[in-house]
Amino acid sequence: MSATKPAPELAVLREPLREIGGEQVLAGLTAALSWLEANQQEINDLNVFPVPDGDTGSNMYLTLRSAVEEARDAPTPEAADSVLAAAAHGSLMGARGNSGVILSQILRGFAQGAAQRVNLDSNGVALAITEASAVAYRAVMKPTEGTILTVVRDAAAAAAAAAGTTDDIRVLLERVVTEAHAAVERTTNQLQVLREANVVDAGGFGLAVILEGFARAVGDTPPTTPVPALLRRSGEPALRLPPNPGDMEASGSSAARRGAAAVAPREQGWGYCTEFLINGPGLDVDSIRTELSALGESALVVGDPDLVRVHIHTGDPAGLIAVASSRGRMSKLKVEDMSAQHHDVLMRADAEEAEAEAEAIGVATQEHPQAPPKPIGVASVAPGKGFRDIMTSLGADSIVSGGQTMNPSIEDLLNGVRAVNAERVILLPNNGNVILTAEQVDPLAEDCDVRVVPTRNLPQGISALLAFDPGASIDENVERMQAAIATVRAVEVTHAVRDTSVNGHDIKLGDVIAVVDDVITEVGSDYVEVIDAVLKAQTEKPELVTVYRGDEVSDEDADALVESLRGTNPATEFELQAGGQEHYPYVLSLE
Amino acid sequence: MDIDADAFYTKLEHSDVHPTTSQPSPDAFAALYKTLLADPQDEVVGLHISTKLSGTLQSATLAAQEFDPARIHLVDTESVSGGLQLLVRAALEDIKAGENAATVAANAIRRRSKVTILVLLDTLTYLHRGGRIGRAQAFVGSLLNVKPLIAVRDGEVVPLARPRSRSKGIDMIVQQVRGCGPLRSLAEFHAATAESMVDLEARLGAAVSNVTAVLGRIGPVVGAYSGPGGLGVACLGAD
Repeated sequence: MSATKPAPELAVLREPLREIGGEQVLAGLTAALSWLEANQQEINDLNVFPVPDGDTGSNMYLTLRSAVEEARDAPTPEAADSVLAAAAHGSLMGARGNSGVILSQILRGFAQGAAQRVNLDSNGVALAITEASAVAYRAVMKPTEGTILTVVRDAAAAAAAAAGTTDDIRVLLERVVTEAHAAVERTTNQLQVLREANVVDAGGFGLAVILEGFARAVGDTPPTTPVPALLRRSGEPALRLPPNPGDMEASGSSAARRGAAAVAPREQGWGYCTEFLINGPGLDVDSIRTELSALGESALVVGDPDLVRVHIHTGDPAGLIAVASSRGRMSKLKVEDMSAQHHDVLMRADAEEAEAEAEAIGVATQEHPQAPPKPIGVASVAPGKGFRDIMTSLGADSIVSGGQTMNPSIEDLLNGVRAVNAERVILLPNNGNVILTAEQVDPLAEDCDVRVVPTRNLPQGISALLAFDPGASIDENVERMQAAIATVRAVEVTHAVRDTSVNGHDIKLGDVIAVVDDVITEVGSDYVEVIDAVLKAQTEKPELVTVYRGDEVSDEDADALVESLRGTNPATEFELQAGGQEHYPYVLSLE
Repeated sequence: MDIDADAFYTKLEHSDVHPTTSQPSPDAFAALYKTLLADPQDEVVGLHISTKLSGTLQSATLAAQEFDPARIHLVDTESVSGGLQLLVRAALEDIKAGENAATVAANAIRRRSKVTILVLLDTLTYLHRGGRIGRAQAFVGSLLNVKPLIAVRDGEVVPLARPRSRSKGIDMIVQQVRGCGPLRSLAEFHAATAESMVDLEARLGAAVSNVTAVLGRIGPVVGAYSGPGGLGVACLGAD
């Protein structure tokens, strides 16, 4: 690391920081959140595959935000253990995506390591980080080096070493952060896929950002930034400073300038954290995102044509709401003054209406909640109206909205499971990045046996549903569904979001790429050509291909594509369905 | 109006009106019994379609009340179509072997639990329209094209699986038949064209070599519910 580091004597000159309590921990977590927020997009962009599903930054941010929100309401705010326990619980309920789940485990470990301590000394902090690492490793069945796990373990080792030589928490955290950044740098060479894409691990970088933010606030020290060449392909410094003057010192770097520019609208404090849903149908997510992002900061606009979730920080919530309401019916409106420590809810849509709408959109349920629970049911995750309808028609009792780039939280999944109203529920994540979140649901669902059939994509989810037999036991059903998902091959067709080289393919921004069972196998310039190449490459010719068109593809275009494929694959039967998924113009299942 | 089976299936597919089926009247049974029981030495064994699917046995029972109950042995075979056919064939073999009517009836009752009927449908529409859907209701409404595989178990239609192609469905039939253990007899039947059976015959023939399958056509009465294009298998386990 050739970057500007604070001169070592700077720390030495200051009074050693020997203890931190609940307030400092909360300040640290809050700062970590704003650091993460400032770097969210950067982390999202650190995606190995050039497919539009980079959401590690958003997932970690939403997870940590849920942690901080609960930590603010800790029963004993002056006690470190109380604040951390609350944060751990909040992060678990809000965890989204694999990186979010692991982050929640890191926080859980940190809280466990700090248990029974009102104040943490340097040994206490080291112990907590060590426990965080241990718990995170235990949570993952096959830990992989070169990920967030490696970063937390190396950070823990640095903490333990530092605790042996200093009782100054500021110095200890300094070493932890330095080591975390170094560990992030090393990830590129630890994992083949990272080396090929020439990026660092997104989750690992996210954790380093969190530690950096925490350390700066707790130690009141200047940042170690800019960290050079985290994104080697762009050659730009990657670490963004949060736009909170208390968390940083001015520096001449371009990252800091960007940060400083972003501070401007916040002069009167933090502004208002505004959240709501916009109800479709026919919503144009991208244009809503563009329009709303211009009215605030940290805009998170995700969803599908039927439902868009918005989270945005703005100085003018009323103006924002006026614009948003012109796009569709709004619900679950929540406006919080971020300058207040406690959530001042200025407005809230009629509670009953909001509940009913969330039920109708977020969690579509067929069963009346008051009805006696049935013996067995299925909850399934689906993006887009088409997949929702198909899954419901095949017998899914409740549908949780989500998929690529909008991973549902553990709490979303838990609500989906509850909506089934059954004693035993099979949960279908239908996305590789939702499986780990889904696996956290069972212990949280009291009186309900929740089993996850690890469906990695939508075609697998559909096959699993087709194999469901409401008359059979849960064990039989899990077995049937597992067997069913092995018989289907998923092809996901999208456009490259950047230039890269993966799997021996030179990929240019905008290229059509086909991902077959998680591996990029074909690259080309048009859909028919790429899909045809995938079909030709199958050693066992599929009997049936179901084509699910995305929401951006017209019926006519999809018809033409299928006609063309029929011409070149006369022995295969084709079926066209409206999937309504975002980002992936076509998803195919080969059987 | 009388029509042949081909004309019936064509009409079934293209007409908006769903045909209705009706059990024979008690009078028809009474007339039959009168003829069959003319010789005081003779007895009647009646093997009838499942009472859960048809009122035929009800008519027969009403008619039988006018005769000596000891001479008429009525059995609910809990079966239909090819399954019923296999039970009737086994009963005929019993009669040939010299068994008396009561034994023939008792054997049929014993054997009925060994009958497996599997039907691969092109669609559930006809079963649904005809009100014989039973527990296969769970399969209704799929937005995806599926070829429902149903079974008749204990006289009732039950859903087995939802293969997406006929070929996968035939694989499942073969698997199920294999799971039945040693067989006494096997029937293959269709409600379409004889060609549609070639695949099933070949694959089943390879899997079950010790019995020769009886080939048949699903008659219009059951065909009105299975719909055109359906094909199936009935097998009777060894005694």
